[in-house]
Amino acid sequence: MNEMIRSEPGDLDALPDDAFRAHVRAWVQASCPPELRHPPKRLHWSETKPWYMALAKQGWLAPGWPREHGGLGLSPAKQIIFIEEIERHGAPRTNDMGVTMIGPLLIRYGTDAQRERFLPRILAGEDIWCQGYSEPNAGSDLASLRTEAVLEGDHYVVNGSKIWTTLADDANWIFLLVRTDRAAKKQDGISFLLAPMDSPGIIVRPIVTLDRHDEFCEVFFDNVHVPAGNLVGEPNKGWSMAKALLGFERIFLGSPKQSTYALAKLAQVAEHMGVADDPVFADRFTRLRMDLDDLKALYETQVAKLRRGEELGPDVSMLKVWQSELYQRIAETAFEIAGEEGVMLNPIGGNRALNPAAAFIQSRVVSIYGGSNEIQRNIIAKNVLGLPG
Amino acid sequence: MTAPDAMGVADDRADGIRLLRDSAAAIVPRGGPLGRIRALRDTEAGFDRAVLGEMGAFGWLGLRVADEAGGVGLGMAELCALAEEMGHGLAPEPLVAVAAIAAPLVPEEDVIAGVRVLLPAWAERPHTLDPAGTTMAAIDGATLRVTGRKIAIPMAAGADGFLVTAREGDALSVVIVENGAPGVTLTVEATVDGGHMGTLTLEAARCVRVAEDAGPRIARLLDEAAVATAAELVGVMDRAFALTLDYLGTRQQFGKPIGSFQVLQHRAADLKIQIELSRAAVGHAAAVCDASAPAAQRSAAVSLAKARASDAAMLVTRQAIHLHGGIGYTDEADIGLFLRRAMVLAASCGTAAAHRRRYAAAAPPLDLDA
Repeated sequence: MNEMIRSEPGDLDALPDDAFRAHVRAWVQASCPPELRHPPKRLHWSETKPWYMALAKQGWLAPGWPREHGGLGLSPAKQIIFIEEIERHGAPRTNDMGVTMIGPLLIRYGTDAQRERFLPRILAGEDIWCQGYSEPNAGSDLASLRTEAVLEGDHYVVNGSKIWTTLADDANWIFLLVRTDRAAKKQDGISFLLAPMDSPGIIVRPIVTLDRHDEFCEVFFDNVHVPAGNLVGEPNKGWSMAKALLGFERIFLGSPKQSTYALAKLAQVAEHMGVADDPVFADRFTRLRMDLDDLKALYETQVAKLRRGEELGPDVSMLKVWQSELYQRIAETAFEIAGEEGVMLNPIGGNRALNPAAAFIQSRVVSIYGGSNEIQRNIIAKNVLGLPG
Repeated sequence: MTAPDAMGVADDRADGIRLLRDSAAAIVPRGGPLGRIRALRDTEAGFDRAVLGEMGAFGWLGLRVADEAGGVGLGMAELCALAEEMGHGLAPEPLVAVAAIAAPLVPEEDVIAGVRVLLPAWAERPHTLDPAGTTMAAIDGATLRVTGRKIAIPMAAGADGFLVTAREGDALSVVIVENGAPGVTLTVEATVDGGHMGTLTLEAARCVRVAEDAGPRIARLLDEAAVATAAELVGVMDRAFALTLDYLGTRQQFGKPIGSFQVLQHRAADLKIQIELSRAAVGHAAAVCDASAPAAQRSAAVSLAKARASDAAMLVTRQAIHLHGGIGYTDEADIGLFLRRAMVLAASCGTAAAHRRRYAAAAPPLDLDA
């Protein structure tokens, strides 16, 4: 089915939005393996590789990268449509840190040599990257990170540990925020470093999460030698580069997709449990649905800004808070109405999509990740409302 | 304080809306004093007819009436922007009732000018959105007469006449009755914001039909008034919130501004989310109205907006009182005016509960393959 004509990037950007959407939709339907749709867990590379490679072969892996670096160079408006169609289909998230994080960073701040070395390997699926930011004692207060890199001759010596490193055991490269100046103010002593995961001294330990899945890892660094040429940008500028990278991707933490899917599952669980027409449940369901529709309207106002070519402001944090907490309320409702079936390990009736217990447990993480909701509220209070320190 | 670009309209239209908002300052200066509002509390009419006349002179009352019929011919996005500004300043004049319902039904010069005040009278019981009750109009000899009872007519004592929805056979008509005419009895009860609501008892009162077989049209006009009222609520909560932020930034306790305490910052963040959800829902509903969407789609969007804005305005103004502490519980503090207006507007054009019920009925089946 991958025999559809491979379009040139210029052709895609020239298509009217509706035609572009139809084109992407048809291709995704034909190309994403059905068994990967709406996965109940974050999938590993061994599972998502066929989908990643299908995107790679089509040339659609990096819709936002400039064309000269192998991307599609799509306008923000088209990128949004592209992502909406991927989400709509329920295609799985891949090991996408190379595409979404380090690729754009290298394009913006890397040397030519770094770009030539790394970008093609990301687009070919040869390098799988993971992100080494959080540490055991640097979570919400990320800038207090202590993993240290000391320059010795032509290499850095790295010591410390990273945590919550998503799918680190799939990756062959890691990008790291490391402390290179202990004397400076905490944000000013951080650098951005790239290390091969097979470097001597790196140990990866998977973390089994609350939903008994090994999505995250701890990564330990014991005198790991990293060539000095693997530093990105200038020393001690890592923090501002990492922050600048939080571009319009931030909006997708507030995408209504997760709650839309969850609400549809809630309706199915309600049907199964025979409470769909119960007035108490119906009122609750209506409120959740209205909360979701209002989320969609708010999301649309932010997307409209992107379409107009504007930068997103700190108010995009409102979407993350509302979406994540709505998703949790939906998951809690499904769990409650499922009664005794809500504590079963296996899905209802063998239908993988109907697993209120698993969804409830998994929904616990959304208020923690991507900047906890407390951090998001701090951002709204200080940067949107201007409340004092 | 307002976000004039948030209505999701095209750029040139957004410019026009900005101008309209600026022109609103002539009557409702942004952040201006509220002495006029206080002075009108508990007066007989509850609003200032001269100010309504100024609104007419600005073209606001004829905003929804076509150019060729003597109006301005603008859309719901524009009316909502204006209503939001009125909410900001707590203007008690019945702009929404006249501009959204009366002027489109009776596009006559004196109505559009705000000289002759006609107010809609459609509800017959609480918590309803249904304009068809038991009120009947029928021909008696050569005269059309109407009999029935209408409730919850805001600012009714200031009206010259009423636009009454009445059954004629199987169809729904709108008829005008004159205030004070034989068979027309108006009783009023004060509302908490210093205004009032009227109950209209009609006993074979002479009337003039202005619309017949008009069920769908009435439903649309009531929907448009509901969205505009939701926009007015956005204005009320937005300014109440701005006053509260000012207070959080200046009130000192324990040697620092209370707005530096995280528990209050997070509460403020949550209120901001509710305000922006309301604004987005209103913008969406106005766009749906302006696109002449099918009735069910329009009703669902309108009910979303009115339910959200009603609940959010109550939440924001309640919290605004609390965050002001003791001073917030005095009549002297302006913040209380916002709570009281929110209470009344939340109940106007359908309560949150009524709109949730209608949304549940009007929303399309959920796409289970979402």
